[in-house]
Amino acid sequence: MDVIVQQFFDLNVMRDNFGLIWDGFQQTLLLSLIAGGLSLVWGLVVALLRQLPGRAAAPIRWLTIAYIDSFRGIPLLLILLLVNGSLGALNGDPLPEWLAVPNWFGEPYQFWYGIFAITLTYGAYMAEVYRAGIEAIPSGQMEAARSLGMSHGQAMRQVVVPQAVRTVIPPLLNDFIALMKDTSLVSFIGFVEVVQAGQDVYQVTYNVSALTLGAIFFLICTIPLARVVDWLIARQQARYQRGGIDGPTPTETTSGPLGGTAGA
Amino acid sequence: MAAPGPVLELSGVHKHFGELEVLRGIDMKISKGDVVCVVGPSGSGKSTLLRCINMLEPPNQGQIILEGKEITGETSADALCDVRQRVGMVFQQFNLFPHKNALENVSVAPVTVLDRSKEEARQHATELLGRVGLSDKLGEYPERLSGGQQQRVAIARALAMDPHVMLFDEVTSALDPELVKEVLDVMRELADEGMTMIVVTHEMSFAREVADHLVFMDEGVIVEQGKPAQVLDNPKEERTRRFLGLVLEH
Ligand SMILES: Nc1ncnc2c1ncn2[C@@H]1O[C@H](COP(=O)(O)OP(=O)(O)O)[C@@H](O)[C@H]1O
Ligand SMILES: [Mg+2]
Repeated sequence: MDVIVQQFFDLNVMRDNFGLIWDGFQQTLLLSLIAGGLSLVWGLVVALLRQLPGRAAAPIRWLTIAYIDSFRGIPLLLILLLVNGSLGALNGDPLPEWLAVPNWFGEPYQFWYGIFAITLTYGAYMAEVYRAGIEAIPSGQMEAARSLGMSHGQAMRQVVVPQAVRTVIPPLLNDFIALMKDTSLVSFIGFVEVVQAGQDVYQVTYNVSALTLGAIFFLICTIPLARVVDWLIARQQARYQRGGIDGPTPTETTSGPLGGTAGA
Repeated sequence: MAAPGPVLELSGVHKHFGELEVLRGIDMKISKGDVVCVVGPSGSGKSTLLRCINMLEPPNQGQIILEGKEITGETSADALCDVRQRVGMVFQQFNLFPHKNALENVSVAPVTVLDRSKEEARQHATELLGRVGLSDKLGEYPERLSGGQQQRVAIARALAMDPHVMLFDEVTSALDPELVKEVLDVMRELADEGMTMIVVTHEMSFAREVADHLVFMDEGVIVEQGKPAQVLDNPKEERTRRFLGLVLEH
């Protein structure tokens, strides 16, 4: 029993390597927040493009559908390896170095490749969440807005999106939790975030306690987030049952790419 | 005074959804200040007719002329928005914006579409909400308003665009009986002030009292039309008689 506790919870290992793991987790947080923010915006852009009306916009709609289906169907790790393998090779011709091998704000190019790959993948997921939210708004809302002379864009901006956003916050947060965990994949292209930091310690100490410490850092963030999601959903459902404004939460539409990366 | 042409003129308007022919040749002429009531059984195409008039559903065939200018065949987004500014619509289900309070519901379109200043739009909205008897509900969200109050906000919202024609689609059908009157009173007042209105309704006493012209529709055509009293008391067509027999019993 002691041996097991010692293997996972060796306080000496944790204390001696706390700085390393904490530094790694700060990188994890940075990756999560930047990629999460960009995915939120990019996903909304894609969802709005997908909802453009009229025959003229059909090619755009098809392109966005193709994009969403593709990036939801490919493991994030594979996207990451594609980005990593190709961008460096395009350095100088046709891409300028600052773009092909970015070194912005003191973060190495692996960091930015990670941001890029995660945003592409999670943007596709979040676009689907937004779409479910937009489609859950009764068509009478769009009609009322159009009947007042608003353009499609004005009606989206003033009427549909503000209502949709409220209902999609819980599923978006769920996706964010999944995204946060998936930032560990960036270690595959040589970036040291918290998981890689823990693994580095393990390879020296043959003890996983540093990884346990990393897990604890994750849980400190993800458990409260999960509780917030549950609370928001419960609140919305109470409202909905009272005949309030928020429809049922489109939580079931996407489950995040957890399954896709489990074997990575 | 020069004799004005009709505000709205429909000729041979057809609309189908796939195989289903919903409007099969509608002709209508509406002069300024007229109140036209449209009655008919459920599914006869009344809502579709209104939705064609403000081009929410473009007709497949026929002509609609609004204030001397043909709007059918118009496809540019700007022109359609312009048409819809001049044709206000009120829906059976209110369709208020649930995330905006009464004042915002009424002022949002003037600000976004007409580029009015927020202040000007709010002032106008306050006035309009006063006109429909809701001065004390400016900050209230739709969720907290009764059906009758919501529908009056919806009327004020449509009026905020200074429309030249108002379309009402069974606006009291979703209301509890005791709330019907407050909405009909607002509509009666509007009619008295000279608003041109097309009112789809099952309220026969309102039609008799307020309408200049009554239209009975069935299966996508106008079966019979004329002065309300004449159509209601002496219907010529068997179909009209059967329909009126059913509604007037209640
Ligand atoms: N967007 C639509 N797509 C397909 N069918 C429709 C659509 N709108 C209306 N209809 C059909 O057209 C018919 C007439 O509908 P409607 O104009 O709503 O009648 P009313 O308002 O007189 O009850 C109905 O059979 C209805 O199902
Ligand atoms: Mg109808």
